[in-house]
Formats: sequence, structure tokens, C-alpha cells
Amino acid sequence: MDRRGFIKTCTAVAAASLASPSLFINSLKAQELEFKAYKKAILLKKDGTSLKPEDVDPGKQYIFFYPHRATPCILANLGKEVPSTEVKLSDGTTYRWPGGVGPEKSIVAYCAICPHQMSHPTPEFSFINYYPENIPSKIVKRGGVIQCCAHLSVFDPAKGGEVIDGPAPQPLTAIVLRYEGGKLYAVGTLGKELYEDFFDVFKPDLRKLYRSTRKAKKLVDKCEVTEVEEYAQEVIRC
Amino acid sequence: MPRKSSGVSRRRVLAGGALALALSGMNFVVSKSTSRLLGAPRGRRVVVVGGGYGGVTAAKYVKKENPDAEVILIEKNQLFVSCPLSNLYLVGLINYGQLCFPYNRLHTKYGVKVINDFVTDIDLPKRRVYLSSGYIEYDYLILSPGIEYDFYEYPFYEEASWFYPGAFRPGSEHLYLKRLLEEFEGENVVFTVPKMPYRCPPAPYERAALMLSYIRENGLKAHMYFIDANEYPPVLREGFMKAYNDFYRGMATYITGATIKEIDIASKTIKTDKGDVRFDFGSIIPPMRAPKFLEEIGLIYDDEKWVRVDPMTFETKVRNVFVIGDSCESYLPKSGYAANSQAKVVARIVADRIRGKEPEGELIQHGVCYAMVNLRSAIMVEVEYKYNVKTRKVKKILREDNTWKVSTAKRYHEWARGLWRDMFF
Repeated sequence: MDRRGFIKTCTAVAAASLASPSLFINSLKAQELEFKAYKKAILLKKDGTSLKPEDVDPGKQYIFFYPHRATPCILANLGKEVPSTEVKLSDGTTYRWPGGVGPEKSIVAYCAICPHQMSHPTPEFSFINYYPENIPSKIVKRGGVIQCCAHLSVFDPAKGGEVIDGPAPQPLTAIVLRYEGGKLYAVGTLGKELYEDFFDVFKPDLRKLYRSTRKAKKLVDKCEVTEVEEYAQEVIRC
Repeated sequence: MPRKSSGVSRRRVLAGGALALALSGMNFVVSKSTSRLLGAPRGRRVVVVGGGYGGVTAAKYVKKENPDAEVILIEKNQLFVSCPLSNLYLVGLINYGQLCFPYNRLHTKYGVKVINDFVTDIDLPKRRVYLSSGYIEYDYLILSPGIEYDFYEYPFYEEASWFYPGAFRPGSEHLYLKRLLEEFEGENVVFTVPKMPYRCPPAPYERAALMLSYIRENGLKAHMYFIDANEYPPVLREGFMKAYNDFYRGMATYITGATIKEIDIASKTIKTDKGDVRFDFGSIIPPMRAPKFLEEIGLIYDDEKWVRVDPMTFETKVRNVFVIGDSCESYLPKSGYAANSQAKVVARIVADRIRGKEPEGELIQHGVCYAMVNLRSAIMVEVEYKYNVKTRKVKKILREDNTWKVSTAKRYHEWARGLWRDMFF
């Protein structure tokens, strides 16, 4: 969450707490539980220069790896201002997602590991993808969603990754971005993480790709951003 | 208020025990062991019977949702073999090893106690599950024993199953059927489908398509007689019928709404109410039912073949006894994926009850099934039931994609990999 966003969140929570003091405490507790800071990592283009908001085409989807070297994230420009919103988990707890970043507050990022059964982009296939407005999902008949084609979980990137449809038991883990001095950074995650299971389940695959789990788990301080269509041999949409 | 009776008589329970022994494949009679295993339960013991898609998922997710639960999974086999994707194995698209998974991680990662043994009896009033080595008492019982071929009502299928396996039970049937297919040199193939309900509705139609593809790929001169007790494929009808017309015209005769009267192995003839069919090779899928012991312990009654449960919670008429997967009468079609989804619903209910509360919000049952129409392309169907616990309203979604695509076949593989990850890792 950027500083401005954080202050806005606190202001909103504080205002609400006038009506209900317990809400203020609960919201902060939830926020502490759900936000996890990692190394601040700058987002870079393939040529090594910093990625600027205008480089993120609203008609495309991008991938980068954060907070670990092997954990994929989807980056998207939703093409409109995306306000902060409350995200609800199935157990009833909530957390506040800070919304989009950049001059238009339209750029968002999510962990690209499906919370249902952990499909994620690999160099071979990408079954979980962002569907821009110009490529609508055939399942929910609209764009502006992230969808996994293995079991048809659909998520709303404008609402903190909440589940719109399908079997996913929880929202996508949000990647918290910060926009500073014309540059984009990833600073942490928000929501339930899946990394422990991911590294366990995919250990043999990660060993092939990164030679060892230790290398796959390495925390990064810079992230190269690539179009998913360039990263995966086949992008599978439905 | 505590229940005084499970509604199941002791006599029925004992009869069940005797029959379960007979069905378990044991060729000798043993007296029921009276030794108690694992000590007395303390309000949080969950016994899961059956290590298939439903049972494995239930065992893992009860522990995941409530690590304080003591979860015991009873399964007679040491190795899980998947029925989903087994049609692809038959025609060489995947190898057998890809269908097999050990149960180890359930124990080493999640702390489920896995017992490889036969269930010889279940005493519902006393809350006991009898094994060959003794009995285990439970607080919660989740039964997921899958299907049995209904040789009770249709005995003539039994001998045919040895010669031309239906291969709708995991394990050796698929290995033998593949061997027969590889030995086949041509002429008449017969393929039979029982009346619904049976396990995995699209699977017979997928198998027919894949076998016809295999016949063509291998340059065999053969004709398939496809004897279907149903009038049409009960799911994905449009996609299958179009595929049969587009890809296999002239290669098969589709005999619908046919009742099989007799199967004569010596003369290789199937007699139906729509005429006789002579064959050289085939896959004869018998009618199915829930395992008979469920009837004998009182969970199936009135000559029905499946366990009646609350369709949203899978609880039987006996409190804290649940039946999931293919054995129960449910809204979702019988399939591994449906059992996986139902198991998560039950796991949530049981985990919550151990904590002394009932689940809130929505209980979601979700089913997605894929089916190949040739060696490269697939079609798919999705069904979902969302049950709001508070309002008791149910929302249903049904989506079919009958346009076959190579990309759908790739999704099919990822669908299965995801399920197996969810169960075993």
C-alpha cells in the first residue's frame, strides 16, 4: 500500500470508528494479519530500465516473479481508476485492498497461483490469465477479470481479487504495489498466501527450473516484467 | 438434544457385517474381532471409509480445517489409482503411472492416520467401524466407498466382466482392457452403457470416441456396436453426437434405449430387446449401485441403490454420519471431481461441529468434467450448486462447451493434475 493509500485507509477506518470504536481496532488487526512486507522490488522492462505506468498496455497481461524468484504474479492495467475496497474471506474476516496505483490508479498485481488447485503460468502453459476488456471471458461473458481455465474460478482484479465465480475458496493474493517518482515497485502481499504449499507441491518442477528449492525461494529486489504471451508457449483462454 | 437411536436395528447391522465380509474378497470366515483399536474417541475423532476422490479429500480437509481433529482414513489398497483420465491410458495418451498416487503425504504432511484394511462391519448405534484387526469408535463417520457393479440384479454381467471389463473401477480392469485392445485385430467391437445413474456420465461416450480413434489410427478394420441403455448421452449430448457424425461416420452403429437381456460369452453374443449383437472384443459396462453393505447397515432402504442424504450437507438420517461421492444420491453427477467438492463441504461441517458450531455462509458443490472426442480434442461441462445456509436458497449454474478444441484437451490434463495436487500434496 502506498503512503497516500494507507493514510486514506486509516482516515476511512477512523471515520467509521466514530460510529463503532471496535471497527477501528478490528480493521487494524485484520490489516496486520493480512499484509506481509517483503523486499521492495522495482519493476523493470526487459531492457533493464524501469517500467513506467504508460508501458503497461490495458489490452495486455504481464507476468513478473515476486516476492520469491519462482512465484508468478499477473500485472494489469485495468484502464480506469480502481478504488480501495474491502475484501472478505470465507471465514468472515476482511481486509482492505488499497486499489490501483500509478497516475490513473489503474495498475494492479496479483499472485498468479490459483487458490483453488494452484494452477499457475509455466513456460509451457498459462491457464490462469487476465482478460482485458477486448478479450472477454466466455464463462462470465465479460472482460476485466482474471480466470483460471482448469476449473473455472473467476476473480475480480478491480475488487482486490475477490472470487466472482467458480470453486476458489478465497481471493487471489494481492501484490501490493507502490508508485514513486514515476517508477513502479512491489512491496508485499495482502491476503492469504499460498507460497508454502506452492513450494511443497511443485518441488520437482521448481528443481528443474531453478536447480534447487533454495534458489526458487530466493527473495527478489527487482522484477523483470514480460507479456504472458512471451513467457508461456501457450496461453489458454476459455 | 442427544439422539437416542440411530434408527438402525442391530439385526440389520449384523447381517451387514456378514455380507460385507463376503464382499470384501476374503475366502474364509473370521469371527468379528472384539478388540478396540486406538482407544476411546474424545469428541473429535473422524473416521473416513474409502480412499478415493471423496475420502482422501475429506480426510485431508478435515485436518486442514481443524488440526485438532483426529482423522483416520481406512482404505483397502495401498495405492490410489485414478478413474478420471483412465480412458486416455487405454489408448496410450498417458501412462498408467500417471494415474497412481501413494497415500503417504496424507500422513506425513497432514497427520491423517491411514489404515490399509477391509471394513468388515459398521455398527451405527454403537458408532463403531469394524476392521479385520479390531474396531474403531468414531464421533463422525464419512463414508465414501464408491460404486459396485450391480451383479445382484444383473448376474449375467459378472462373467462378462472377467472377459470384457467395463473398467469403471480403478485398478486391474483398465490394465486388462488395454491388453485386449492391443491384442484386437479387427472385426466387431461391442461397447455397452448402463442406464443412468452410473459413475462419470460422459466417460462411456469418451471411451467410445477414443476407441474409434484408436481403431482408425491403427488401421484396424472394425465396426463398433454401441449399445446404450439411455436414449442419448446424458451430458454433452450435442458435442458427442456431432463428434460421432463428423469423425466416425460409418464406423459405428449406435443402438439407443436398449435393454441387455443376456450376454453369452461362449458365442460372443449380446442379446438385447433391439436385437442380438455378435462381437469379437468389447468393453461391457455393468449397471452400478452403491456398495451393498450400505443397504445392510440400514443406510439404503426401500430397494433403492444409492444412499439418500441431505443434498446440501450429505448427512444421512443418522446424525454425524455422512455419505459422499458416487454412493450417495446427489445433485451433482457421480464423478471424482464432484466427490472432491462434496468432501470439502462435509469437511467444513465436521470441522465446525468439532468446534461446537455449524457452518455459515455458502456451501458450494462444484462439478467440472472434460471428455475427449478424439485423440487431440475435448469438450467440457460445468455444474455448480451454491447453498446459502441462512436463507436455504440454492443457486444452480450449468454450462456446457460442446465445441471441441485442442486447448480444452490441455485444460483436461491440468484439471486432473490440479485435483491430484489437491488430494495428495
